[in-house]
Amino acid sequence: MSNTIASEYGHTDTSVPIEHRFNPYSDNGGTILGIAGEDFAVLAGDTRHTSGYSINSRFQPKIMDLGDDLVMSANGFSADGDALIRSFQQQLTWYHFNNQNKKLRPSSAARLIQHLLYGHRFFPYYVHTIIAGLDEEGKGAIYSFDPVGSYEREQCRAGGAAASLIMPFLDNQVNFKNQYDPATGQARLKTYLKLDEVLNLVRDAFTSATERHIEVGDCLQIKIITKEGVREEFYPLKRD
Amino acid sequence: MNSIADSFYSNKAEESIDNEFISKKLSLTPSLAMPPISKPTAFLRAHTDDNTNPDCKIKIAHGTTTLAFRFKEGIVVAVDSRATAGNWVASQTVKKVIEINPFLLGTLAGGAADCQYWETWLGTQCRLHELRNKERISVAAASKILANLVYNYKGMGLSMGTMVCGYTKKEGPTIYYVDSDGTRLKGDIFCVGSGQTFAYGVLDSNWHWDLTLEEALELGKRSILAATHRDAYSGGSINLYHVTEQGWKYYGNHDVGTLFWETKAKEGSFNNIVS
Amino acid sequence: MVAQPVQKVFPLTLKITNLPSSNSSRPWRIPVRIDCYLSHIKMAGLSFDNFQRNQYIASKGVAMPKATSTGTTIVGCKFNGGVVIAADTRATAGPIVADKNCEKLHKLSPKIWCAGAGTAADTEMVTQLIGSNLELHSLYTNREPRVIASLTLLKQHLFKYQGHIGAYLIVAGVDPTGAHLFSIHAHGSTDVGPYQTLGSGSLAAMSVMETQWKENMTKEECIKLCADAIEAGIWNDLGSGSNVDVCVMEVGKDAQLLRNYITPNIREQKAKSYKFKKGTTAILRESIYNLVDVEETEIPVPMEVDA
Repeated sequence: MSNTIASEYGHTDTSVPIEHRFNPYSDNGGTILGIAGEDFAVLAGDTRHTSGYSINSRFQPKIMDLGDDLVMSANGFSADGDALIRSFQQQLTWYHFNNQNKKLRPSSAARLIQHLLYGHRFFPYYVHTIIAGLDEEGKGAIYSFDPVGSYEREQCRAGGAAASLIMPFLDNQVNFKNQYDPATGQARLKTYLKLDEVLNLVRDAFTSATERHIEVGDCLQIKIITKEGVREEFYPLKRD
Repeated sequence: MNSIADSFYSNKAEESIDNEFISKKLSLTPSLAMPPISKPTAFLRAHTDDNTNPDCKIKIAHGTTTLAFRFKEGIVVAVDSRATAGNWVASQTVKKVIEINPFLLGTLAGGAADCQYWETWLGTQCRLHELRNKERISVAAASKILANLVYNYKGMGLSMGTMVCGYTKKEGPTIYYVDSDGTRLKGDIFCVGSGQTFAYGVLDSNWHWDLTLEEALELGKRSILAATHRDAYSGGSINLYHVTEQGWKYYGNHDVGTLFWETKAKEGSFNNIVS
Repeated sequence: MVAQPVQKVFPLTLKITNLPSSNSSRPWRIPVRIDCYLSHIKMAGLSFDNFQRNQYIASKGVAMPKATSTGTTIVGCKFNGGVVIAADTRATAGPIVADKNCEKLHKLSPKIWCAGAGTAADTEMVTQLIGSNLELHSLYTNREPRVIASLTLLKQHLFKYQGHIGAYLIVAGVDPTGAHLFSIHAHGSTDVGPYQTLGSGSLAAMSVMETQWKENMTKEECIKLCADAIEAGIWNDLGSGSNVDVCVMEVGKDAQLLRNYITPNIREQKAKSYKFKKGTTAILRESIYNLVDVEETEIPVPMEVDA
């Protein structure tokens, strides 16, 4: 038997490695916005990429053209967003190989994205996802997703840092919430907005969000989907 | 037909030999990614449970009032349409009734994604049952598939409170309540969600078996209206369904904003609201 | 606090009534009844009465109210015969811009000015308090206030509160001993130097200072340097933005506040007008009050008589 006295300076090794708080998420700011029209859809986003009080990039466009007249953006933690979009694109490629390059419908794309997001139910992608396209009847379609894959087709949706600033504006200007017809006193009837009206709303939404949210700014990217295909426009935003 | 059904039935041993992509394509048994740490559930709670951690980054949509009740002419299902994430009203236009198949309805309360995903998954399981057995699945069996599934995930953070409603020849109109704890109950009247108590208040005091269809639809609608009035996490509009031997039938979307004033004027109720 | 002296001395108890059961981040309104006042509560200085209660409430998961923090860029720089300080004008609450054109340049005395970063309320209040004390001191001694005196007053006050007063200041001014420039941190430490930067944009501003600064600058050069340093913060730091405010203090002259010296962030015209047609808002209830009695009487109009 050993009669060694335990040293005051001795230490015990723990057999289990110490696990520090695991935080794989960060927030890269930015905001996205999608509006569907009668025969078009737009998906817009700013191009500022931030972490904390720093700007990582003033021009990092995040609205992606997926082909098949579909556009997609996953806003929030950009690494997760990029990973999600990449795995969607890979699945889409396989879909084309297996189905004679059949065009993927927005409704099918939405269901696929649900599965991709829900596949990470216990380790979620930290993103708010929106896709835009034209449905089988040629009508504008916007689908929006929560981080774990619940989704809904909508007329308009804002996501990301300034969603809470833009969404009430959209409720009022796109769905005419809280607006009444002065002639009849009834709630103002829903009508489709024309493309130039929608683009004006999008630009005003982003210039306003830039004024009041520090993570929004630098440049506005808008992708417009019509039966002619996907078109892209850029507008400068304030850089402060 | 059986061979098609069999191709969806995955055998664990076979699967491991198969090319990964092919097995992924055919297997309907989902595999869910886990964070690479020792306690994934604690991780999930820290990042997604806005009840224990109000500052959590990922806010999952919650909050609801849903109800379903049996009566002489079948089942009435009524739900609100609001989705909330923390204090943020994420949507006023959510479909909280999931049409599993023409004879089965599922309601959605708790985590929106959990309900939407697993109830559409339940739809595929019910279809496979039909292909394999050449007859429609019973409500009891369908609800049990869901109950067993969520029980497998018990403690991992799924959040669902759902009613599986349907009509089969041998069962008649049937409602099963299934939640993410693994509870599965058969009953005549259920209200589920943050506004359930308000809905029960109206429903219990006016329900009786011999309700006509019109009365029953009105009662379902009125119960949800009461809940949207008092529960901040419920609102938007009301979706109404009626389930009979012929399957379910949709009875429209009713905006709570206008319905409230109509109801108040018609009944002379809600006198707490002046003007 | 006006507390009536009490005859009997009770142990101090804080009773919390109606504590919200939910731990969501609702606005923080918790009715509190303090059952008895003790005479020693009339103690001078800040009151920490609610400290224990707030800790308890926080432990229950209720979020503390957020103080407006001016994530800020402030700078100061000396030149031949004077000193310049400058600041941006953005005030933020979290990621939201609370004020697009706030004033971060405070007057301590006519020729001693101070730029503040940190908790907005603290920089404002500490500046006013020390400003008052400085004037009293000046009246008492019958001399112009000195920058070093204001520095001492500020640092001793801030040190006393151990950093709980979140004021980060750049103090500058001219007095009978010349032009001076200092910076103070919330815990009470101070720095002296020919140029200073503070706030979340201090790194961006300092990089300008370190590359452009030179000795014996003219007033114009110095103003340009300070404005450029602030602009670096405005563009590169998300906590800073909008306009540049400048204050010039020159020996033998009155201090000059150049409010909105540069305005590089004027908002462009909106693409659309958002004027609503009259009647767009629903009228839920109408009530008309007659504030005057209106009496109608017919006044006979004289008949027109043709000639």
